[in-house]
Amino acid sequence: MQKNALHILLADDDEDDRLFFKDAFEEVKVQTKVEFVFDGLQLMEHLHNPDTKLPDILFLDLNMPKKTGKECLIEIKKTDHLKNLIIAIYSTSSSDEDIEDTFIHGANIYIKKPSDFNALKKIINEVITLNWHYHTSGLNRDNFLLSLK
Amino acid sequence: MKWIPNFNSSGSLRFIFIIAIFILLFLSSITYKHNQDLNESSKLVMHTYEINIQLEQLMSAIKDAETGQRGYMITRNSRFLAPYLFSRDKVNTSFIALKKLTADSPKQQENLKKLFKLIIQRYVSFENCLKYSEPRTYDKRKLDNHMFGGRILMENIRFQVDKMNDIEKKILEERLKKYDEEISLSPFFSISLFLAALIFILLAYRQISNDIVRLKIYNKKLLISSGLMAESEVIGKFSTWQWDLESNKIDYSDNQFRLLGEEPKSFIPKKETFLEFVHPEDKETIENSIQGIIDNKRLPFVYYKIVRKDKQIRYFKSTGKLLVDQQGSKILLGINFDITDEHLLNIKLQERNNELEKSNQELASFNHVASHDLQEPLRKIQTFISRVSDADRAVISDSAKEYITKIETSAKRMRVLIDDLLLFSRTNTTKKEFIKTDLNELFKNAISELAEVIDDKKAKITVSDLPKLYVIPYQIEQLFINLIGNSLKYSQPDILPTISIESEKVLAADYPELLDPSVKKYHKITFKDNGMGFDTQFKETIFVLFQRLHSKTDFPGTGIGLAICKKIVENHKGYITADSEINIGSLFTVYLPE
Amino acid sequence: MKLFIKFDINTICSLYLKEKLEEQNLNFSSLGFGEIELEENLSTDGLEELKKNLSPFGFEVVENQKSVLVQKIKDAIIELVYTDDNNNYKSSAYLADKLNHSYGYLSNVFSEVTYSSIENFIIIQKIERAKQLMLINEMSLTEIAFLLNYSSVAHLSTQFKNTTGITPSAFLRIIKKRRENLK
Repeated sequence: MQKNALHILLADDDEDDRLFFKDAFEEVKVQTKVEFVFDGLQLMEHLHNPDTKLPDILFLDLNMPKKTGKECLIEIKKTDHLKNLIIAIYSTSSSDEDIEDTFIHGANIYIKKPSDFNALKKIINEVITLNWHYHTSGLNRDNFLLSLK
Repeated sequence: MKWIPNFNSSGSLRFIFIIAIFILLFLSSITYKHNQDLNESSKLVMHTYEINIQLEQLMSAIKDAETGQRGYMITRNSRFLAPYLFSRDKVNTSFIALKKLTADSPKQQENLKKLFKLIIQRYVSFENCLKYSEPRTYDKRKLDNHMFGGRILMENIRFQVDKMNDIEKKILEERLKKYDEEISLSPFFSISLFLAALIFILLAYRQISNDIVRLKIYNKKLLISSGLMAESEVIGKFSTWQWDLESNKIDYSDNQFRLLGEEPKSFIPKKETFLEFVHPEDKETIENSIQGIIDNKRLPFVYYKIVRKDKQIRYFKSTGKLLVDQQGSKILLGINFDITDEHLLNIKLQERNNELEKSNQELASFNHVASHDLQEPLRKIQTFISRVSDADRAVISDSAKEYITKIETSAKRMRVLIDDLLLFSRTNTTKKEFIKTDLNELFKNAISELAEVIDDKKAKITVSDLPKLYVIPYQIEQLFINLIGNSLKYSQPDILPTISIESEKVLAADYPELLDPSVKKYHKITFKDNGMGFDTQFKETIFVLFQRLHSKTDFPGTGIGLAICKKIVENHKGYITADSEINIGSLFTVYLPE
Repeated sequence: MKLFIKFDINTICSLYLKEKLEEQNLNFSSLGFGEIELEENLSTDGLEELKKNLSPFGFEVVENQKSVLVQKIKDAIIELVYTDDNNNYKSSAYLADKLNHSYGYLSNVFSEVTYSSIENFIIIQKIERAKQLMLINEMSLTEIAFLLNYSSVAHLSTQFKNTTGITPSAFLRIIKKRRENLK
């Protein structure tokens, strides 16, 4: 398994969601390091900062103030040194159109925020496992699409 | 301009006129000939009597000679010889005249010669008688002979003269007969010609009077219809104008003046005068259109404004066409409609529409946002509840445990409600893109969505071949999910659910109270199940939003599912009905237009 | 102008590996499956240097035996999925055969190291290949299902959806729209 801890970044303005996320990651088998940003602007600033170590996976909430998740997604995909980030959209909406829309704009994973903690744990496990496979087994990142709703 | 009746008079009249002239000429020539013939015949008569007279004169001359001779012979007075001598001249004269008169008949000439011979013989006899009656040369026997011979000659002469007279008479009779024949035809000819002429004139008269009657009728009709036209222009608020391109004369109907705010016939219309009424904004368009009609022979509808004398602005709609009539003259026919009322109404309608749309949009986004934003706190509630671990539950009081469970249940119910509401609002608000879709595909998707429940209940679902229709795919998929889901949910507890879905084409005419007849054909898709059914009295209410037939503890459900189905079917301009028998099953029928 | 460039990871990696090893003046022979036999034993420093040189490109020097085995299992699976003969190998038999261990043992080691199952991995690889076949070779689902030994198109679609959460057609649609977006 991964020698280094998996580096996760979550961008979400909701305190409770961040709490759930943190707790879920703590109970995951893999070693992880989880960081948070609280809104879109903060996220982009963080990412553009040359000192920042880029995360292995970025979890991105769509409904954020100052800059929405979608805007961030588009900007990230346009930025050279960021466009290869694995991005998981983490959102409340479950409409197929919204999901497809985020995929079209470059997201790799779509997660509908579950209303059960165990479900969240399960989802995170799946994401991490799949992501790890993508890292280690030479799978094509461009074709990496996963929808969990 | 085919509707102008073709009056035939000119053609046939010309014909009749020419015939009449011919008849007249004919008649005159016949009359002339008749006259000539009469002349000729009277001349002939005169001719014959002339000959007669001459012959008698000849006779009388000879008689004179005879008488003179006799007198001399008796009296021996030389005075009696004078007539005898004169007679010879008379005879000659008559003879010359007769020769001329009989020049045309060789037969008579012959007779004349014979007569002449005879007369010469008589004169010889005269001479002889005179000689032999002279005392000196007196010879009684010779005298008697010659006297006797003379007497016979006289008879012969008389005979010859009579013969000649008879011949002349005969000739005359013949010629007269001939003329008679010829003449007798003429009156007959004239009368028949006269009758023919009369008939022609009568025909002509009939034709002309018919034409006149027709003209009068058409005239009357024209008057009536132009009267009606003028009335309808006033009632319908439109007007017409004509522009004779050759004479450049423009004619306005009375209402045209009125529509422009003027009195009828108050001015002489010209191209420029119309433009004066046009609103400055539209002047250029109208100028171009007028040019356009002349070039293209027609004017598609053009909309513009005019300003009346009283400064009122009216909205006009005009169209025109170039007409070429049978004689080749070009007339521009234009029609103007005063659509001010409709226009203003339109504007009001438009405004109302916009308001409605705005309010609709607001409602829709309110709906959507509300459901969406309601999900957040609900999700939190549920997640936090799920965080209350089993370990935690072990240490709290029983009542607290129960309360948490109840909170869980209510939260679940709220979630379902919000999900359904969200679905309902999405049915309304998202763009309605109709794509030709194979309903069998949508059915398959629906089945895979319900795969778990189908497996659980071991349900058997059969479907006949479904059509390809223009639909909103995700909505029809939702329709299938809801209907099949319902059948599964309300299945009878100890009977394996069987659901059969069938499709057929039907005619709108067969379902007059239900289907819209303007769409001829519908696809009828039936969903039949063997579930617990419902009381038929509720077959309409189950489609009402939030209406439920069971309590929520018996069956989880929001009462929105069927309302969503109805909305979806309505979006597709279709219909949905339900029928059922308790403990037997239910039948849901969906009609989608072709 | 659009080009599809298909690349063979193995070729690239071997070349890079060779380059880096030669830079360190290490004589080696390649045993396949990423296994390298060095002529001489490497010191700890040398090993560290090698690891440092290889890590920028995601190379990891695996020292653990079990990890080695797992890597071999993975490689074998990839080979199985990407060869086209339709001999209907049962994957368990194939792996046991190829790697000379019982399938149960292989399964255990795999789960222990990766925390996921061989079956799962096989499915992921197959779906990955299906994606490639869809996008690059533009094959139809029927053809792909046949090539990858699925019992039916429905089976492939279901597995696709279960693995990625979206249907193959949706996947295709999204990738297409993504490419249009990038233009």
